[in-house]
Amino acid sequence: MEYNISRGLSVQAVVEYERMVLFGVHTCDLAGIQCLNMVFSRRPKDYNYLIRKNKIDIIGLECNDYCDEFASCNLVNANMPSGGYDLFFTDMGDYFIVHINTQVGDQIIDSTKLFERADRSHLRELVTLREHKRTLFRNEVSVEPREIPELFDKTFESEVWKRLDEKCLACGNCTNVCPTCYCFDVIDEVNLELKGGRKYRKWDSCQLEPFARVAGGENFRKERAARQRHRYYRKFRYPVPIYSRFFCTGCGRCSRTCMAGIRLKDTLNALVEEGITKVWKKWL
Amino acid sequence: MKKPKVAFFDFACCEGCQLQIANFGEALFDILGMIDVVEFREVMSEKWNGQLDIAFVEGSITDFHAEERIRQIRERAAILIAYGSCAAIGGVNGMKNTFDLEEIRKYVYGPEYHFFATEKTKAIPQVVKTDYVITGCPVYPPEILVVIKAALQGTSCSPPDYPVCVECKLNENVCMYDRGVACLGPVTRAGCNSWCINNGNICYGCRGMISNPNERGAREVLEKHNIPLPFVVNKMNLYNKCRE
Repeated sequence: MEYNISRGLSVQAVVEYERMVLFGVHTCDLAGIQCLNMVFSRRPKDYNYLIRKNKIDIIGLECNDYCDEFASCNLVNANMPSGGYDLFFTDMGDYFIVHINTQVGDQIIDSTKLFERADRSHLRELVTLREHKRTLFRNEVSVEPREIPELFDKTFESEVWKRLDEKCLACGNCTNVCPTCYCFDVIDEVNLELKGGRKYRKWDSCQLEPFARVAGGENFRKERAARQRHRYYRKFRYPVPIYSRFFCTGCGRCSRTCMAGIRLKDTLNALVEEGITKVWKKWL
Repeated sequence: MKKPKVAFFDFACCEGCQLQIANFGEALFDILGMIDVVEFREVMSEKWNGQLDIAFVEGSITDFHAEERIRQIRERAAILIAYGSCAAIGGVNGMKNTFDLEEIRKYVYGPEYHFFATEKTKAIPQVVKTDYVITGCPVYPPEILVVIKAALQGTSCSPPDYPVCVECKLNENVCMYDRGVACLGPVTRAGCNSWCINNGNICYGCRGMISNPNERGAREVLEKHNIPLPFVVNKMNLYNKCRE
């Protein structure tokens, strides 16, 4: 938003967008974009996001195997394509199979004239590839997804979070790379003449010391343990009743980037070890 | 609106932070359009003994003369800004505090050392009430603008209380630890837009430590990368010796 007070108050909403194509988006990130779409479509709708999103076309790319040991996409069911793209490419070795999901995708196929119609043998090969994938991708954590929300309810006071307190440097890297972290701060930037300026959003992170600090100096999550716990709950507990899904897409980036060596899979496994016996769902 | 009277003063420092203002380039004209500089020995010979709207104070307090002088400046100034690491956190002058005062005095001033008074190095906020703090060695020019604007508007403004890593990651730098180099980013206050790392250098911690650094976690990271602790502590002491 831009404002000026030199002649009365004038306020101008600013929407920044450009037409672009995201190419080669893997299923974890497609899931991430789907999460963000849900968040920003809730009322009050975020028109900046929605306008920008409408100008972006997405071409997905299937993972035929794990990218590395940090990924946990099977746990959150994000290793297979489930929409959220215009076109989706699967590498079949000698050729690609492309799934057309939207009208935009159809137009790309039509106008490039690079594609042929797939016949039955191709589709059979795709089925074989997916079946093979089911043997490669196994639940990376020793817990059933349906047990996770209750597991989190039972481990709020767990020792696991205290251990994270000792390790975490509160650098915010895990949230900076997370495809579903969307928190921001609002900055007021006035011009030097103090007659106008702009109000804009800036990335913020729940891992940073001042994030939950309020007027008067009270900080609701002063301990790093509380902040890390909050991050995990924001992925595995809080979104479940609102959006009926986890907000972890299993991309593994938070684990990959953490210099303190906090690994999502390890944290979940530690919670399971400590709390799974308290989870009733396990017996239902 | 009458232009606020602004003066620059210096104590124990290299005055390099004041040169950052002179180095501003075009933005300097905009700044001068907003303020009336009445004393600034790096760029002008005029002096000013009257009341001040804003006093920029560079350097740290290292003897009783300095302490007296900063108190006088404080009395004359409506707003006092601790300017640069030496003023804000003690900076490199703080290294003196590592040694016994008498011993270091002898070492520096020789046999006639008793003519030269000295005290433990203190940052400006440790001596007088400070309204704004601009840390950094040297200060980061965009941050000066932010603080000047806040001072002119009378709004609050303090350097971010999270580590340099935050900005560094947003700038898409490869982590120095992944390159096998020890860097103070994880415990140092951000606000410089990871200036040094963007340019291929490590973070020297010049902006001072964050309020709640995870020393145990940092130690674990060092162990993982086989970096001896004293090596990093030495680096840390370069700027952080005045920390209480």
